[in-house]
Amino acid sequence: MIEIIELILTVASLFLGLAFVVAVILALTGRFERWWSQLLYPMIGLHYATVMWSAFFQLKLEAIDLLWACPVFFVFLMLLYVLVVSVPISIGLLGILILQLLGILKRVPFQYNLRNLLVRWKTNSLTAVAFILVVALLTVMLAFVNGMYELTSKSGIAENVFVLADGATDELFSNLGYGDIKEIALQPGVARDENNEPLVSWELYCVASQPILYRTCPKCKEVVPIARFGRQLEQHGSPPCSGSGLKITDSRDRRLLQVRGIEDPLKTSMVHNMQLKAGTWFSQAGVQSLSDSDSAEQAIQAVIGDGLSRELGPDAGKRALEVGDTFDLGPRKWMVVGILNSSGTTYDSEIWAKFQLVGQQFGKPTYTTAVLRSTDVETARTLADYLKKEYKKPAVMAQLETAYFASLNTTNQQFLIGIVVVMLIMAIGSAFGVMNTMFAAIAQRTKDIGVLRILGYTRWQVLTSFFMEALLLAVVGGGIGILLGSLSHGLTATSNIASGPGGGKSVVIKLVVDQYVLMTGAGFSLFMGCVGGLIPALSAIRLKPLESLR
Amino acid sequence: MNELGNWLLEFTDNPLHVVCVALVVFVLGLIFVWFDLVAFYTKLIVQSFRRNIVRSTLTSLAIMVMVLVVTLVWSVLNLLDRVTSEKSKDFKAIITERWQIPSQMPYSYVSGLARGGARSETDLVPMDSMSWTFYGGTIDPVNRTRENIIFFFAMDPAKMITILRDEKGNPLRDTDGKILFSTMMDDLDQATEAELLDLDRACREMELDPSKVVLGYDKLESLKKKVGERISVTSLNNYKGVDLDVEIIGMFPRGRYDSSAIINVKYILNGLDAWKQKNGKPHPMAEKCLNLMWLKVPDTQAFRQIAEQVEESPEFKSPAVKVETASNGIANFLDGYKDFLWAMRWLLVPAILATMVLVIANAISISVRERRTEMAVLKVLGFSPSQIMILILGEAIFIGVVSGLLSSTIAYVAINARGGLKFPIAFFPTFLIPLEALSWGLIVGGMTSLLGSILPAWSARSVKVAEVFAKTT
Repeated sequence: MIEIIELILTVASLFLGLAFVVAVILALTGRFERWWSQLLYPMIGLHYATVMWSAFFQLKLEAIDLLWACPVFFVFLMLLYVLVVSVPISIGLLGILILQLLGILKRVPFQYNLRNLLVRWKTNSLTAVAFILVVALLTVMLAFVNGMYELTSKSGIAENVFVLADGATDELFSNLGYGDIKEIALQPGVARDENNEPLVSWELYCVASQPILYRTCPKCKEVVPIARFGRQLEQHGSPPCSGSGLKITDSRDRRLLQVRGIEDPLKTSMVHNMQLKAGTWFSQAGVQSLSDSDSAEQAIQAVIGDGLSRELGPDAGKRALEVGDTFDLGPRKWMVVGILNSSGTTYDSEIWAKFQLVGQQFGKPTYTTAVLRSTDVETARTLADYLKKEYKKPAVMAQLETAYFASLNTTNQQFLIGIVVVMLIMAIGSAFGVMNTMFAAIAQRTKDIGVLRILGYTRWQVLTSFFMEALLLAVVGGGIGILLGSLSHGLTATSNIASGPGGGKSVVIKLVVDQYVLMTGAGFSLFMGCVGGLIPALSAIRLKPLESLR
Repeated sequence: MNELGNWLLEFTDNPLHVVCVALVVFVLGLIFVWFDLVAFYTKLIVQSFRRNIVRSTLTSLAIMVMVLVVTLVWSVLNLLDRVTSEKSKDFKAIITERWQIPSQMPYSYVSGLARGGARSETDLVPMDSMSWTFYGGTIDPVNRTRENIIFFFAMDPAKMITILRDEKGNPLRDTDGKILFSTMMDDLDQATEAELLDLDRACREMELDPSKVVLGYDKLESLKKKVGERISVTSLNNYKGVDLDVEIIGMFPRGRYDSSAIINVKYILNGLDAWKQKNGKPHPMAEKCLNLMWLKVPDTQAFRQIAEQVEESPEFKSPAVKVETASNGIANFLDGYKDFLWAMRWLLVPAILATMVLVIANAISISVRERRTEMAVLKVLGFSPSQIMILILGEAIFIGVVSGLLSSTIAYVAINARGGLKFPIAFFPTFLIPLEALSWGLIVGGMTSLLGSILPAWSARSVKVAEVFAKTT
């Protein structure tokens, strides 16, 4: 039910938002007839009330998490303010505006406020730019966290059961070598392939340290080796390039790569729903000669993630590694035989190779992970429960694959809390700026307020008019901020996701700006407008008509 | 006196400090020479500040909250920059497994690595060393949660702290009366004397009885345990079958080690031996229980030589090891967060600073617009345009500097009193606000106010007396 309401509200808010933008353009260019001005302000109220409710449905889940995770109630209090103060005010305003539209209530002097915003454009622009900066930044930061959530949610398959050693908190610390673990493949509920073989992926996960031995010389653009300790480019070129001996400013001299040893690539690809973007899977032997000579060095065949191919590309002077390229990892050379179509999953940053070869390379002869494909989600849940509670040959830690990836959201939650706290502090700072603007606007227009009161406008109508002036400022600033922040959609960034201290995965994240990020940005600008506009508007209604005209 | 000398030497090592001190001296000199003028302007500035208390307070509050965010962000970045910047002397090298993490080396490497791989008399030997073995366990194996999980650094307790003592057992002190001690751990020199003595007592007890442990404040809180209680720790996975029954006998000084726990490595090694006797074969971790080795080296030259000795030694080939400076090792580990940290440094902070400039520009321009008549009167009274401009700039800088300093001082006192800013990145659970944050508040507040008020001040400078009085009724 909530999903349906949420969908309706989301669609409605998007349409109303569009209508609102058109109405604002018409209002600002002075092209609207009188009835447009009547329509414009209800639109603002309705749009923002809708947006706030949609944001509420999204935020309530995070709010619960925040309550669990946050050591102080500050965040909670702010959310409470948004829900208890901002939303009722918006809805109240909406009601007033509708009543006004229906002619039940007398008009509020909105035209006057709109003209004032245009007349005092310099001061209002400064306030709006502050809004733009804060909301744009919020949008980018939320898009980053959203990207992390999307990555973890896309990486798991609901029918898969993820098995680690009992007590392991992460693949990296798991060791399934304590008993005859292969028996778990024979459990009822495990799906089978066309050859009636259990659909199980046996995996060895490890993190390898790869020294970065080459850099692209900024002078000659050639890939040249770097000195062991000097952290500078070796002498190169003939005659010597002026980039020889250049200091390396980037502090990193090695990177951590995730390597997954697997037994049967076809079965693993079926279990993880992973296809190749280019090339082939590695062969039965898992190695191939680097040249036609019999004595040539044997390279380990590797299938790598799409994101990783771009990460390793610059080492070879390319945008991305391609099939047939080689790279150094450990004491051996590795040859790329395939590229995974892995964008948007944690596998995007991984190297897949033959299990036995990976084990030899890194001194790990046992599996760390088993992923079992079951026939359906319910069977997967039953199987995971059984393995976790009943299976003791050896005891294992089994869970749905989706639950495992959800557990990696601990880092995301930390980032989300940090972002929300920082943005709330910034929002309060910006709200003080709005208050300044509005207090000055009221102080300068004391006589105007007196005239309005003498003309018959009531206190609440003056309050509504000044409050809406602040909200309009927030709407315009926030709207532009959201648009600018939305430009970050699709950008990539490297980050770590983990379920706790140690372990975790280094992943390539794609920033995602979706309707929830947009709504949170809109909600934030409304929050700043409400906080900054309400107190000055209240001070405006305390003015006595005759005194203000004196 | 000696301490003051050392502090001065260290302080003047940084050219920025020297420039700041020179600026302060220069400003103080100007104040001394033109004291009457400065007093006159200060009086005017304070009067202007009090003229519209609401606006001044709102602007001040806006600056304070934004400086607070800048202080928090820079405190995180400051510590990470500090631990990842290379030192030229008395620094530490880290030795880990060459090709993978987590690093797992045989414990038999310890003695050879402690010698820095020295094989002949001409080879260099490190000044000191420390080995770390990581042990993860839980006090509630049935319902494992983040709160009841505990990670021990298993090590030689003497490497954590050893207070130097005379024949009678009294602590030796330097000329300033400070206790002399040796340690391989960072930041213990910031602990109080009582904390150092207590930690030293705990370490000596741990040496005598390996089943005694020391925990950090946060770990004790999350486990809901106190010093003096016993806990049973069941291994999470790797040390399966090697469980611990330990007594908590001490707590780390508050700060960096709040989430840490330390145990004598002998307890783990004894546990592995017992497992072998019981099962008739070595424990799978028996040959992998050295995770990390620290070496203290005198300078870069010595580091390079020791690194070559270790990496070329046939003793350490299976598995191969790598030697790097501690700062480089941490920098590589933080690499996963590089984009996030970049965004904090180059997106968040500039955006906050720009917002501050805008808020101040807005407030000052409103103030100037409202006080055009006052400016005109001042001009009539003989004030030059430059003097009016100084007045406006002074007012803005006054608000910025006071608010900035106040905000960073509150952050320093309040956050550090709560044990620091809790924002776990890699293995840094908390971040203390450094003392230099007070200067950040002052500089950020002052500079953003100056930038924000330049245009309004210029506009005040060009107020035309005739125009203003023509409109005045």
